[in-house]
Amino acid sequence: MKFYTQNGGKRPIRLSKQTRQFAYESLERKYGLDTLKTNSISLDNNENYSAFSALEKYDIAILKIAEEAPIRVCEGEKISGAATLGFAIKHAVPATYNGTPVCSSISHLTVDFETVLKEGVNSIKIKAEEAYEKYRTTEKEAFSKSCLNCIRAFEIWHRRYLDALRDLSEYKANYENLTHVPFEPAKSFYEAVQSLWFTFAFIRLCGNWPGIGRIDYLLGDYLKKDLENGTLSLNEAREILAHFFIKGCEWVNGQFIGSGDAQHYQNIVLAGIDENGIEVTNEVTYLVLDILEELGISDFPTTVRLNKNTDEKLLRRVAEVMRFGGGMLAIYNEDLIIEALVKDGYSEREARKFANDGCWEVQIPGKTFFAYYPFDALQLLQKKTLSCYAEGVDFPDFEALYSAYTSDLHAQVEEFRVKQSVKFVTDGTHNGTWIWKPQPPCTVISLFERDCIEKGLSYSEGGPVYNLISPHIGGLSDVVNSLYAIKKLVYEEKRLTLPELLRILKHNWEGEEALRQFALNRYVYYGNDNDEVDAIASRLLSDFADACASLRGRSGYAFPGGVSTFGRQLEWSSTRLAAPHGRRMGEVLAANASPTPGTDREGATAIIRSYCKADLSKLATGAALDLKLLPSSVAGEDGIQALVALMRGFVSLGGFFMQPDVVDAALLREAQAHPENYQTLSVRVSGWNARFVTLNKEWQDMVIEQNEH
Amino acid sequence: MKLRVTEIQRFCMHDGPGIRTTVFLKGCPLRCAWCHNPETQKLKSELIFYPNKCIGCAACKTSCGNGVHVWSETHLIDRVACISCGNCVENCPTSALEICGSEYTVKDVLSIVEKDRVFYSEGGGVTLSGGEPFVQGDSVIELLRACKEAGLSTAVETCGYADPCVLREAVKFVDLFLWDIKDTDDKRHKQYTGVSNKKILENLSVINELGARIRLRCILVNGVNTDKTHYKELAVIAKKINNFDRLELIPYHAYGGTKSVFLGFADSGRVEWIPTEQQIQEAKMILRSEGVNVI
Ligand code: SF4
Ligand code: SF4
Repeated sequence: MKFYTQNGGKRPIRLSKQTRQFAYESLERKYGLDTLKTNSISLDNNENYSAFSALEKYDIAILKIAEEAPIRVCEGEKISGAATLGFAIKHAVPATYNGTPVCSSISHLTVDFETVLKEGVNSIKIKAEEAYEKYRTTEKEAFSKSCLNCIRAFEIWHRRYLDALRDLSEYKANYENLTHVPFEPAKSFYEAVQSLWFTFAFIRLCGNWPGIGRIDYLLGDYLKKDLENGTLSLNEAREILAHFFIKGCEWVNGQFIGSGDAQHYQNIVLAGIDENGIEVTNEVTYLVLDILEELGISDFPTTVRLNKNTDEKLLRRVAEVMRFGGGMLAIYNEDLIIEALVKDGYSEREARKFANDGCWEVQIPGKTFFAYYPFDALQLLQKKTLSCYAEGVDFPDFEALYSAYTSDLHAQVEEFRVKQSVKFVTDGTHNGTWIWKPQPPCTVISLFERDCIEKGLSYSEGGPVYNLISPHIGGLSDVVNSLYAIKKLVYEEKRLTLPELLRILKHNWEGEEALRQFALNRYVYYGNDNDEVDAIASRLLSDFADACASLRGRSGYAFPGGVSTFGRQLEWSSTRLAAPHGRRMGEVLAANASPTPGTDREGATAIIRSYCKADLSKLATGAALDLKLLPSSVAGEDGIQALVALMRGFVSLGGFFMQPDVVDAALLREAQAHPENYQTLSVRVSGWNARFVTLNKEWQDMVIEQNEH
Repeated sequence: MKLRVTEIQRFCMHDGPGIRTTVFLKGCPLRCAWCHNPETQKLKSELIFYPNKCIGCAACKTSCGNGVHVWSETHLIDRVACISCGNCVENCPTSALEICGSEYTVKDVLSIVEKDRVFYSEGGGVTLSGGEPFVQGDSVIELLRACKEAGLSTAVETCGYADPCVLREAVKFVDLFLWDIKDTDDKRHKQYTGVSNKKILENLSVINELGARIRLRCILVNGVNTDKTHYKELAVIAKKINNFDRLELIPYHAYGGTKSVFLGFADSGRVEWIPTEQQIQEAKMILRSEGVNVI
């Protein structure tokens, strides 16, 4: 039984042998492979199926899934419920008619688990019944009815688990808990964990990928009470919570273009202040860290909310877990994020509640519709502003080039608004009332998003409190470096004219190796704390944020900006032309807001400083910085201090989100050669982690490449 | 006053507590056979050439007035003729050439060190290393004083072979000495470093008397100083230190060899000097049993 580390360190043992065995088998994909055995429930026998409305079809599918999905009780599990249908892992409602899934599903959100835990699903049922009464005979009747149908499906599936567990003496606790939760409010920590898991599992069973959100905030009070009453010990609590994480490994083989599994947007958020400004960190925070440290489970990528006053004890603990590698822990700087959200129009109390969309984009859990539009800023420069390096393209000075680029940026963002305007029946520009056209059904998710039931509107039809579509700029440092190299080569040092340079780039630097080397080596690019180039990055991000802000009030959606590539740089790189900073065609592009691979020479502190020079509070969904650290640089007590200092520096400089990972490139090469020996080794890819061996070759190479510089 | 600096490295983790910016100074009175930074030995600046980065464009040849860059099959450097003026470095497109040992003012150094101030929580700060920092006596004292005035935590890695007057002055501005003890056996010390260890040990007691905080750094070279007597002697020395931080064992590694090639030396990396894991553990055990805090 080996739980891998990148630094060769020894993971501590706190959990029982049975729990560790359960974890090991789960990481070795025992249950994941089991899930893939049954992909979906067939609706073929359903007569007249095609005659039903989309919503009715959806309800039929959900009910049938609840009735027929395989029930799984894992050996020794302390909490029950399992999302056992394979197509759910492919992001679809796992029911098929004539072989095709009937409906796609929802991801990029964290649902309202707080209501489930504190008030029980029955409270949602009551709301749904009231809404149904209210909307009967209106055009909203169908949706209200669908809500009741989906709750009924949940009851049916719940009943099946009770039946399966009732006579199994070793699962007595599971059974007893399930007789109360999730339909009634949880009364103990154990019940709360079961309630959270069971609801999560049902939502996933129906094909959706919700994030978990602030697990310590959700569970902390239950544990506190149990500890005070002496009904539970900390060790018992750790065992129970560990089973939550272990059961989370039941989905493998995402088949998302080979980008690895373990990335079903199920992020967890720890620590930070609550709506009243009081620090949340509690025993649950530390139990989660214990579990991640011991088992190295990467299926719930976890982000810790830090602020200027974060306790030294928590920071040290985070550093200790981070050192094992696997990218399980990332950090938010909540001081800046709350400021960003307030700037974006949220009240301060609301802003303090932020979690994420299950990846790292910030949102208010249980209240937010979220989607994003990614685009490659380098392509925009090459294709639009520089017209793919066509003859005759020229600008008198750098400012002229830059302003041509920013107007292309504005046009790009505007295009996103136009693209989704087809979703609306009415144009609410004048009165602020936007009415959505019918969207594909998603009632299961709508049940757990505030206001949907009451408004009689689904999650995708304006039901939630906040509706966001975030334009995400990618290729940031590639485009910044391109602009900077042009500024130096053409406009300042006048080594050649822009048309001459573009001609050379069009021919992929052919016969111009010395110039290419010069551009590559003699300028100091983004990520090295060079004010000159960093100023371009800051300016560009600010102009991009302004472009996003200019859409305010012109759509039913708000358009907060963000910075990401999420690994898209891999598909982008093959189609991008050579770039002025010495890049040849096909070479690796930058990830998220991180430096272009190979150009960062000054180390982690310089990278952070370059990134933090931009006013990131203008980007309300976030800007991700990846930071790769060598195991040797974070070894020993010195290493802990270094990580703590890095995190503190990140917060005081005004960073947004950082995913540090401790990676040993040699170990990854070994895993590439002998995957059979490294089934449980995980790495940070972007907003998610992946078991390394489940990435395809290109992705593996990219991860290794990012870590060798 | 100018300092001859080979390199200033940010985000250094193992040159004292926390995150540090390490300033490598040029010049060293010792000639250790196992030196890891041979480019820092001579006080004068030198040309470094990385053949693996060279694309043979000959821009260096054109820009050198001293005929240093010559081609006979491969690109060769006539080091005797080189005056380290840096002309060729400026013109090399690939950064295959580098001047090691440029001059910096105290202000230049501070402005780089200041950049990472926000990361110096957890005891981080600036470390002077080398080479032997105290070779550049007065300038180094001035740099240290300036760092302290700027509120930065300071550490100096020294071989201890320095003018005691300079050390006395330095104690006022140094928060932590990283003090090398290469060998406690003087005969071997002379053989492998070129000098006696007497002065080094005397200096150690000088700064000890003055209350300096001291971390000992002891290289382990297989077959040279991997004997019990040496470890016991080390413990005796460590226990005499009043303000003792800890003792660090530094196992010899062979990388020093590669860098010296770029300076035109023969490869001095010696694999047989790398200590075994067992030797490292034995050293630690003996030191610990003597009550010395060792890592
Ligand atoms: S440093 Fe000056 S003298 Fe030495 S090789 Fe370069 S140009 Fe010639
Ligand atoms: S200028 Fe640089 S790349 Fe060109 S030949 Fe000289 S060392 Fe090689």
